[in-house]
Amino acid sequence: MSTQEAVLTAPHAQPKAYTGLMDWLTTTDHKKIGLMYLIFAFFNAWVGGILAGLIRWHLWDPAHSPFNGAQYNQIMTMHGTTMIFLAAMPAFAGFGNFLVPLMIGARDMAFPKLNAFAFWIMFPPMLMLHLSFFAHSGAAAGGWWSYPPLSSSQFSAGAGENLWIIAVILLGISSILGAVNFLVTIADMRAPGMTWMKMPMFVWAWEVTAWLLLIAVPVLSGCMVMLLSDRLFGTGFFRPALGGDPLLYQHLFWFFGHPEVYILVLPGFGIISHVLPSFASKKVFGYKGMVYATCCIGLLGFFVWAHHMFTSGISPAAREFFSVASMAIAVPTGVKIYSWLASVWGGTIRFTTAMKFGLGFIALFILGGLTGVMLAVVPFDVTVHDTYFVVAHFHFVLFGGSIMAMMAGLYFWFPKMTGRHLSEKMGNLHFWLFFIGFLWVFTPMHWLGMEGMARRVATYRPEFAFWNKFISLGFLIMLTGAILFLINVVKSCISGERAVGDDPWQINELQQGLEWMTSCPPPAYNFDEIPVVE
Amino acid sequence: MSLASSRNGYAMHTNQTVTAPHVATGSAHGQAHDPAAHAPAPSLWPILLAAALGILVTGLYQIATDISWGKLLTVVGFLGTVVTALGWASTIIVERRQMDPLQTGVDLRKGFLYFLISEGAIFGTFFAHVYYLRAFAPHWPPVGAPHLATTLPAIGTLLLVGSSFTFNWGHHSFLHGKKGAAKNWLLLTAAMGITFLGIQGFEWGTLQNFDKFTLKQGVFGSGYYIMTGFHGLHVMIGLLMIAVVYFRMERGEFNDKYHFSLTAAEYYWHFVDIVWVALFFTIYLF
Repeated sequence: MSTQEAVLTAPHAQPKAYTGLMDWLTTTDHKKIGLMYLIFAFFNAWVGGILAGLIRWHLWDPAHSPFNGAQYNQIMTMHGTTMIFLAAMPAFAGFGNFLVPLMIGARDMAFPKLNAFAFWIMFPPMLMLHLSFFAHSGAAAGGWWSYPPLSSSQFSAGAGENLWIIAVILLGISSILGAVNFLVTIADMRAPGMTWMKMPMFVWAWEVTAWLLLIAVPVLSGCMVMLLSDRLFGTGFFRPALGGDPLLYQHLFWFFGHPEVYILVLPGFGIISHVLPSFASKKVFGYKGMVYATCCIGLLGFFVWAHHMFTSGISPAAREFFSVASMAIAVPTGVKIYSWLASVWGGTIRFTTAMKFGLGFIALFILGGLTGVMLAVVPFDVTVHDTYFVVAHFHFVLFGGSIMAMMAGLYFWFPKMTGRHLSEKMGNLHFWLFFIGFLWVFTPMHWLGMEGMARRVATYRPEFAFWNKFISLGFLIMLTGAILFLINVVKSCISGERAVGDDPWQINELQQGLEWMTSCPPPAYNFDEIPVVE
Repeated sequence: MSLASSRNGYAMHTNQTVTAPHVATGSAHGQAHDPAAHAPAPSLWPILLAAALGILVTGLYQIATDISWGKLLTVVGFLGTVVTALGWASTIIVERRQMDPLQTGVDLRKGFLYFLISEGAIFGTFFAHVYYLRAFAPHWPPVGAPHLATTLPAIGTLLLVGSSFTFNWGHHSFLHGKKGAAKNWLLLTAAMGITFLGIQGFEWGTLQNFDKFTLKQGVFGSGYYIMTGFHGLHVMIGLLMIAVVYFRMERGEFNDKYHFSLTAAEYYWHFVDIVWVALFFTIYLF
């Protein structure tokens, strides 16, 4: 791509400008769409969080519970669904939308209208999911994995399950179009001189994530079409009576489901690769290794899906293969973790809130990664399968990993997004409430699981009552942190400390990020002139 | 790296330009340089299309579950989808006509190919389903499934494969400035595609009416109908694209470097063709 191509001129294409609400509804500005993604995710994270609170309320006492089993199943299913599809994925899409064009020195995404569409098409499914609680016989209750026969019309007769499936298909459209947009943007719109190996780590993370979305999400869509057709039209894809196979559903679902885990964490890796070196006054350590490790994780992610199925009845050879492949992912992940540590090592560290979340990410993600290696060992997995050990593991990865990274990224780039800083004082408290609250809630789940407390079950044996009460109290700590964060965001948007200059953290002399070379917030066209990277 | 900086909030455009060292300046047409001109245009179409699709899907679902106002929603949603999609498309055509497509730096073909990869992954899911079941089934096709005649589908296959060539020749003729020939090749391609669909429709009818073979009778029928059905839907979309390309060509909207729709339609047609060959071997031959 030559310089001339990057500088496009559209002198006659200036259409009417909208203002106010219409401006946001019609915008094709990647920054505004990014912000809307983040608000969308924030709202749904609250919905998912409230559902988590209902789960903890329900599990306070094994004998006297506020909900019946069916209601509990709905709450648990919708907690997972909301958090994954409506909170975590849109949140990272929001970061990607806002940051990727800025970081590569582009005016916008490659397809600005498609970008807006990918955002707005999430609203019908969001409404379907949230409103399905009021449908006849309630929301979907088959878990976020929705295995048949549990999700068949025999055991999930209500409309909730149908709405769930349709919503997931529609959300898939959003993800796929978003992925296409990111791939073309990164391939074709980099500023002159920004070669692939000069791209910032966050852009690399999104490049790999977009490939995962592009290949994995359609498999989920196809799988959901078959499941819906089994329910509505009487086909037999997953029904043994007609020659179908429920195990096949698990294969297809996890062929999507495991790359999905990396979709939910790789952009977080990217964020951390910016936050840690920035506040340690160092360049990111081992850039090349980090890039290759990210690609490697993405690629290996497609060959490990059946480690979710060690107890489902797959052959011993398959178990061995998937066990070894899963453990192999620890290698590139280890490369990343050591590189992050080396990026901080010996640096002049500034303990900003973003940095604290970044370091907290490393602490918690390592723990989640270690239990992941444990679960890749077949005999151990068979023992703790479907127990709270697994719940603890993936919350360490998805909360300790993804959400801590999102928080780090938000505190870091908030001045760039809004022109104002988040309050560091409240941020500090928010971090400690989240960090301690998280450990409080999820650490005991490890031994509860090892002792045999089953997940996905509405009650538990009386001897687990103490730790469940303990965990439910911990939820209140996290809730306090979340409320504080909400207040912080609202207050800082209105009256936060103004960001000074293009580079309010004073980091860019070393980091050389293009996003810090334009104003806070950037103008609609990002850069007066397309920058040239040398 | 060098920097270009400005002090504008989200909604403001000014002509202020700070030129930094090593920054490429360039306005290919030599006009005064206004960075605000680079901001993408706002558009109502995306949100309208999202709303229309939401209504359409809700309506279809209600028809499937026999809820009374489903048909109304479906009609409203379908019309809305068609209108907004056309509106969106015409906006893009107008916008892009005002700029030189080679100057945006964005390779539209790349975007379309990425999209086809995801389409391929959906079809891949259905193929995976068939091959997985075959690997574990004692008999394939399962006992009770009808023997699918191969003669007509083979003719369909030849037609579809042939139509890939005719489309390609059409593209070639267009590039060599023979617009009349190009349009004829496109018509022939569409005719072959329609004949293919006719053969498929005839086969569906025969199987349903004479062999009493439906999608409810077992996994073979489910797979047969969903795969041929999903593929047939793609052929229809491909025909729609050919129709659009044909009329745009007739109106003289393409020139030798600006004919992305033609290229996209051709890619799509080849894709549908390749999927069919795999499908033919998977379902009919083995």
